[in-house]
Amino acid sequence: MSTPDDAPEAEAGETETAQSDGAAVDEQTPASDPAGSAQSSEPDGRSAADQASGTDRRVITADEEKYDARKIVTGDARYTADYRDRFPDLAHGVIVRSDVAHGVVTDIDTEAAEAMDGVHAVVTPFDDAVPDTLYSSSGQSYPEPSPWDMRVLRKHVRFVGDPVAAVAAETRELADRAARKIDVTYEEREAVLDPERATDPDAPRIFEDDEVENAQPGAEYERNLESHFEGEIGDVDAALAAADDSQVLEMEFETPYQSHCVPEPHTTIAYTDEDDRYTFITATQVPFHTRRQIAHLFDVPIRDVRVVKPRVGAGFGSKQEMVIEPVALALHRQAGVPVKLELTRREEFYAVRSRHPISMRTRSVVTDDGDIEALDLYALSNSGAYGTHGMTVAHNVGTKALPLYPRVPNARFTGDVVHTNLPMGAAMRGYGAPQGHFAVEVHVDELARQLGEDPIEFRREHAVREGDVDRISAADSPDPERFAREIRSCGLRECIDRGLDAVGWDDADQPENPDRHRGLGVALCAQGSGVAGKELGAAKLKMNEDGSFNLQVGGVDVGSGNDTMFTQVAAEVLGCDPTDVVVKSSDTDLTPFDYGAYASSTTYISGRAVKKAAEDARERLLAWGSRMLDKPVDDLATGDGEVYSEGTGESVTLEEIGYEATYGEDEREQIMGDGHHSTDESPPPFGAQFVDVTVDERTGEFEINQLIFAADCGVAINPPLAEGQVEGGEHMSLEYATSGTLEFDDEGNPETLGFRGYGMPRTTDHPPMETILVETHEPTGPFGAKSIGELPTNGVAPALSNAVRDAVGVRVTELPITPEKVLAALDDEGGNAGPSE
Amino acid sequence: MHVDLTINGEEQEYAVSRSESLLDVLRRNGYTGAKRGCDTGTCGMCTVLVDGDPEMSCVTPIGTADGATVETIEGLGSQDDLDPVQAAFVDNSALQCGFCIPGMIMRSKALLDENPDPTEQEVRDALSDNLCRCTGYKKIVEAVLDASDRLDGERAVADGGSPTGESCHCRDADPAGGEK
Repeated sequence: MSTPDDAPEAEAGETETAQSDGAAVDEQTPASDPAGSAQSSEPDGRSAADQASGTDRRVITADEEKYDARKIVTGDARYTADYRDRFPDLAHGVIVRSDVAHGVVTDIDTEAAEAMDGVHAVVTPFDDAVPDTLYSSSGQSYPEPSPWDMRVLRKHVRFVGDPVAAVAAETRELADRAARKIDVTYEEREAVLDPERATDPDAPRIFEDDEVENAQPGAEYERNLESHFEGEIGDVDAALAAADDSQVLEMEFETPYQSHCVPEPHTTIAYTDEDDRYTFITATQVPFHTRRQIAHLFDVPIRDVRVVKPRVGAGFGSKQEMVIEPVALALHRQAGVPVKLELTRREEFYAVRSRHPISMRTRSVVTDDGDIEALDLYALSNSGAYGTHGMTVAHNVGTKALPLYPRVPNARFTGDVVHTNLPMGAAMRGYGAPQGHFAVEVHVDELARQLGEDPIEFRREHAVREGDVDRISAADSPDPERFAREIRSCGLRECIDRGLDAVGWDDADQPENPDRHRGLGVALCAQGSGVAGKELGAAKLKMNEDGSFNLQVGGVDVGSGNDTMFTQVAAEVLGCDPTDVVVKSSDTDLTPFDYGAYASSTTYISGRAVKKAAEDARERLLAWGSRMLDKPVDDLATGDGEVYSEGTGESVTLEEIGYEATYGEDEREQIMGDGHHSTDESPPPFGAQFVDVTVDERTGEFEINQLIFAADCGVAINPPLAEGQVEGGEHMSLEYATSGTLEFDDEGNPETLGFRGYGMPRTTDHPPMETILVETHEPTGPFGAKSIGELPTNGVAPALSNAVRDAVGVRVTELPITPEKVLAALDDEGGNAGPSE
Repeated sequence: MHVDLTINGEEQEYAVSRSESLLDVLRRNGYTGAKRGCDTGTCGMCTVLVDGDPEMSCVTPIGTADGATVETIEGLGSQDDLDPVQAAFVDNSALQCGFCIPGMIMRSKALLDENPDPTEQEVRDALSDNLCRCTGYKKIVEAVLDASDRLDGERAVADGGSPTGESCHCRDADPAGGEK
């Protein structure tokens, strides 16, 4: 087993919604709660506000109206670009991008552009206004587990789309015209587009040694290797050596690029405030990481940077990146007026970030008794031109799916992350887990079928259970014992049972047409709840005279409903209505710190922080209630907007407390609460994806009859929002399985440049979907909650491959699964294309 | 050049440049509910009604809109007095990030004006030019069918599961202080 120097921490692409519970025992990892912090969580006791059973819940598990719903449906919700009216002298930015896949900029002629009336600034890598510091754009913890390998504007260009220059002008149209007048001269270099070829000794080198700082474990830049890692439990090679060929199954898998298709393109407004501080209104999932990275790049104190997140038109990981903020700031510094930079849809497709294409090889060994003796997973990730989230995503390929089978005694994941002259992969919802699930859940399915076992029963027997200890996900950690993960909640078997019921397979008829065959496929899914040992969320509550509260929270809602979930968690503790909680999130000046919306961390980490802040404030409510009612605190509880005596029923309203605490004769107090949360825990949410398909064996054409997803996210704090996460995740997973990909020509020029050429499913492309929430109780989560945001992106691709196998007996292991590939597989079978059994 | 538009019932005259789209002019003049998702007429996030028909305003040249009657999301209900279509989206949790929602609602409104009692397939067909990345469309389609029922019953109360059923959350409108 090889252990990299630094823990490759998986950080993932998106946030999630809403959870909660019954008898929550708040377990606090001792190391994560430094002594002296004013936290109200108790390591071994029951939180006062956690309710004993489902029937005692007040506003958790309720269908609470989404916090921003009315703003959204009226058009009142303001996204970054909608703030333009605040800036009468706003200039509009445009980025000039490389049109060669690999080369060096030798000259940039900006004269004609600068001479145009209304052009405020033109910046190039040769200007002082543009820092030439190396950095990573990844919105990750510090120091980022991603190499510092890019500059704001680039002389050494590494893919078609690399930013080379930028313009700010009075109007967008003028900026576009000026950008077209900028003449860039390149010395072209040979490009390499194939990740296998990229590591050849004679392949063109993409990074010189002095072009990278903070290199990641296993890097060998002389052969374009950004990172190599290996984690193992037991001894996989010994298991392979001891096995007969008949006991070994080996498979290969290919997965493509996938675009985030984020609704709101990357948009930012950069300006200097009246205190001479750099300020951004920006569409981001990571305001605090962006603040730190801007300070680093522009060499100013962190305190002199402010990052404000308004409503954000989703992220899915594309905004877990500081993508355009530095360019906007460079333009602003040069122009002297506020600058808005808003990417085009075309740029979103070819110039920013995507899901990494990854090739995988799996091997398994089974014993004579049919038990899985070993699982081995190798991933070759095409990182593209830069290493943002390169190692961590590839790492997640193994660490999310393999823990579905934690009792396998020998397991290993190995990865090579390789640069090519194509667009960079980065964080995208699921963060390596969709690729890993495609390999692992297809492999396990094939294994079961070749053993003559029912694939669903095989999983029921071998898959993770409550009480298991997952060691594989921590196998290459510097401290595997610390991060070995006890599974405290697992509803997988109920997910399987209820999913199967919903499918109604027992009553499903085969089509009358003998060429058409109906099949059922399942894939189990797992994710995490935040990055174990690499998260911090914080929140602050303050009470108003009228009994309402302001909640200032660093956790970032980019659309999935976290603000709503926060109000429910706070209200459950405080005994008020969720509408009595006014949320401010997220502004680096006004709200406490948070790592941001990624890795399915928001409910589990930030939600816990909010719960602790509410418990802290509740202590003060009870103290004031005790004084006003002349009852001991032990006799008091909160609920229905009151503090009341459990003995006598006497009560005082929160409004009365608010006025008394603010304006009382004897003594006054601003009632407040603080909370923060960090932990080594990252409990996996689980799920079972079912795909019901009908395949025509003559043409390979197939129809998906229904998609069923049963999810265990602990206690769903807001069930409709949790369902929304499942349905949206399945949408992305459906695209991944059947239609998405980016195409390039043989010089690395992008050919997928808009929605027209990309296969994003529309209303008419979606089969019927049913979502089932299977409640478990995660003792370390806020009110029993785990995450849900990324989990459902993992299932459709493997379940569809498994369903096609079930229907017509052939196996497709390359995404997307198309009729052509199914037909080719049928042809390979030489006419032996009937249903397997 | 100048154009005359009737927007949400009010007559407006704007100085515009010939190369601008209807979306450019709307957004520049405060109608920011319509969103710029692609600028090429492929995502539907800029959908408004022009003379009653749903149009993608990003590919509607401003010249061709001269004299037209335009309805935008701002002309429907307000936060404390929602239109039944808006209320159905709220109550069915048929929104997440919200960026596509104004366009979805305008498209849905056009459908329901023309076909008050659509089937699920008719709803899916009508919305097929409007992309949503967050919801998987399930709750959106359910919301439009629910809106159809509401319009039938002329009910228009959005209680959204809120215990009071009447709260208006006009929050979070002001993310940062002024500029220098």
